[in-house]
Amino acid sequence: MTRFAKKDILLEIRDLQIQGYTDETWIDIIKGVDLTLHRGEVLGLIGESGAGKSTIGAAAMGYARDGTRISGGSIEFDGIELTNASQAEKRALRGSRIAYVAQSAAASFNPAHKIIDQHTEAPVHYRIQKRLEAQEDAMELYERLRLPNPQEIGFRYPHQVSGGQLQRAMTAMAMACRPDLIIFDEPTTALDVTTQIEVLAAIRDIVDQFNTAAIYITHDLAVVAQMADTIKVLLKGEEVEEASTKEMLDNPQEDYTKSLWAVRSFKRPQKSRPTDGTPPIIAVKNVDAAYPGGAKVLDDVSFDIYPGMTVAVVGESGSGKSTTARCITGLLPPLKGEILFKGDPMPAKYKDRSLDQLRQAQMIYQMADTALNPKVRISEIIGRPAQFYSGLKGTALKQRVDELLDLIELEPSKYYDRYPPELSGGQKQRIGIARALAAEPEFIICDEVTSALDQLVAEGILKLLDRLQRDLGLAYMFITHDLATVRSIADEVVVMQHGKVVEQGPKEEMFTPPHHPYTDLLLSSVPEMDPEWLTTVLEERGVDNIGDAADV
Amino acid sequence: MNEFVIAYFAALIIASCLAAYFKYTRAFMLVFSLTLVSIIVGIIGGTSALWTITIFAGLLALAAALSYAFREFLIQISRPGLAKELRTAPLTAAFGMFIIFTYAIAGVFAPWIAPHGQAEVIAGAFAPADANMLLGADQLGRDMFSRLIYGARNSVGLALVATIGAFALGAVSGLFAAVKGGWFDQAMGRSADIIMSVPSLIFALLMLSIFGTNLSIIVIVVAIIYSPRVFRLTRAVAGNIVVMDYIEAAKLRGEGDWYLIRKEILPNCTAPLIAEFGLEFCFVFLLIAGLSFLGLGIQPPTADWGSMVRENATLISFGDITPLIPAAAIALLTVAINFVVDWMLFRSSGLKEQ
Repeated sequence: MTRFAKKDILLEIRDLQIQGYTDETWIDIIKGVDLTLHRGEVLGLIGESGAGKSTIGAAAMGYARDGTRISGGSIEFDGIELTNASQAEKRALRGSRIAYVAQSAAASFNPAHKIIDQHTEAPVHYRIQKRLEAQEDAMELYERLRLPNPQEIGFRYPHQVSGGQLQRAMTAMAMACRPDLIIFDEPTTALDVTTQIEVLAAIRDIVDQFNTAAIYITHDLAVVAQMADTIKVLLKGEEVEEASTKEMLDNPQEDYTKSLWAVRSFKRPQKSRPTDGTPPIIAVKNVDAAYPGGAKVLDDVSFDIYPGMTVAVVGESGSGKSTTARCITGLLPPLKGEILFKGDPMPAKYKDRSLDQLRQAQMIYQMADTALNPKVRISEIIGRPAQFYSGLKGTALKQRVDELLDLIELEPSKYYDRYPPELSGGQKQRIGIARALAAEPEFIICDEVTSALDQLVAEGILKLLDRLQRDLGLAYMFITHDLATVRSIADEVVVMQHGKVVEQGPKEEMFTPPHHPYTDLLLSSVPEMDPEWLTTVLEERGVDNIGDAADV
Repeated sequence: MNEFVIAYFAALIIASCLAAYFKYTRAFMLVFSLTLVSIIVGIIGGTSALWTITIFAGLLALAAALSYAFREFLIQISRPGLAKELRTAPLTAAFGMFIIFTYAIAGVFAPWIAPHGQAEVIAGAFAPADANMLLGADQLGRDMFSRLIYGARNSVGLALVATIGAFALGAVSGLFAAVKGGWFDQAMGRSADIIMSVPSLIFALLMLSIFGTNLSIIVIVVAIIYSPRVFRLTRAVAGNIVVMDYIEAAKLRGEGDWYLIRKEILPNCTAPLIAEFGLEFCFVFLLIAGLSFLGLGIQPPTADWGSMVRENATLISFGDITPLIPAAAIALLTVAINFVVDWMLFRSSGLKEQ
């Protein structure tokens, strides 16, 4: 904290209290949080979802989202008290002196206007620059952010550039008026690791160059370690602790912080393939696939999954991981090749498969929100597969549902009659697991099951999956882009890129060099807890190289 | 200047001052603008115009009070879950529910409420209102009030059956089209387009003149005419639901289409469908009233609001409002249903604040 003098305080929040309106009463969301931000300081806000990170981020602009209100405390930005400032005063600040970078750039850009027109809107509106000056300035910023073709890229529409580039364009847009404070609300959460690294490097550089203060909101500790000078940990609307990044990483004080730090420690011993000649439970043989009317998505994909083992399929988005899963379940019949179940070929379309074949391949989805019907009771969501496949009825069915709820560590009497929207994200994912288990399968496809969850919750799910595998002898195909998850749970790893299998083998082998260049890129792009990590990686790769990293 | 005018302006000015003092800005703006308007209206229209304003405001206040009380009544008699929903209902919706409730009572208990039979001739043609006949007699000397009560049963009942028919037809085909997709979807969609491309009243007239004006034929024809709208809405709503992961999970489980529709999709699209039901009901009701007015709907001597307007239409030229009473009954029901539907749409859409 010594880096920043007291006179340089830019934003000071004292005893902030925010309430949200639910069920016709006001409930406290933020319960008295203090925050001090100096000029040029980057503050990392971390915590689980629902901890109030984004709410505080919005409050730093004097903004309370729909259905919330600032009920107490003070927010002072450069001598201006925002809690009782008029709308006009606040509007004059936003965009020009405080900027905001949202999580999903793709959803935040207006698809009907060119990127540069949206970029120049604020400077022109505030009469800081003329349109042409603003455009030139935008191009300069694009160059600094290492966007390819800085002279030209702004004249494209948002859908014509990639997600990582769009996120960088959005950062450039936030810089357009050279604000004193930028609020980054999970800017890289929706990106692949290989893309994330470019955006992180770009954001860090530009914040340094202009000495801008920033609030960086994320739930990924490794990311925040690269970006922030100071870290503040939040839990359920209250501050847990705050310290400089180095201190926080080396010596966390509170139990909650320690548990956050320890999350990635879960690891289980690697299993090897059975040697007694058992056929793989699922074998993907030379599969080519394409969506109707589209180009080929999968090109000669082959791998085997043996009983009781976990095969992780990794790769960035668009590499064909989920398409492979769709081929295995029969939703997308392959153009060429076949899927073998215990050595026997399965019909290509799910409609041609027998009930028993359908029962054997169950899926757990990424978004538990869309994977569970919000209008159906838990007892029926779980009970239906048991009733459908095994013909259970009455008390036998009820008993089976209770058994399954016990298995996923949820109290049956409490959850039996509830509906999915009443559950938390982790609980919903557990119900999704129970639904898959209800069919008594031997093989489960887990499609990014933990990527929408907080780290602590995700770890709980991974432990549960591991226990179920040991107890029930399940085989998993684990689709993920998170290599930390792979490290903790996988036995074998399949690396995919552009619809092809680049490399595959047992986990230990895959994580020790030499690697295929793409595997290497993937591995080296995973943020580590070391605050120097980003700098080191960038040096190793060379600065010029970084912008094109995703195109390797 | 008589006492009434003085009292009228005194009341308005005192009310606006009170509102201003207690900082009810909106109420103040409303009352004081009314005061200013009243000055002009008073100069132009005299005392009688001010009386009209007073009566109108009084009726509005009465309706508001009635709606408030009726909502409270509904909250008291319904289950806790439903009561919580009802608490969010605006006064307009409560008013709509009250009107619908009244019409339902009138329709169900028509023979007991109506003092005379619907085809009973009890007086001379166009006899004026007296102690025996609340609203006077129609062109054949039948009691207008009794026919109005019976009309609630006939017109509303017929419209209800026809709307349910349109929904059964449209919703089921819409759901199947969304689930099955492909050629089935195309075929259903194009047939819906064909039906929609013919103006509905002309289509109904054509069909009724071919097949005759039997009650069941009216129901079927109207149901077919209105089913494409329901089909389109259902297909659009269900189209958003069938792409959800839980539908994929159910499909992969091997569930049949009927299970998917019944258990997985239908519970998720009831809200927009109920809202659409209210809206369609109004259109169907107006179409049937229109058909009756043209003589192709419900046949005499059965009481029906549409034909009641036509039969008594000549009275309009004598400055009598009798033919407007059944028309007003139609208008009131339409407005009432729309109030309730607005509330439901508001609830089911994402527009409401959390």
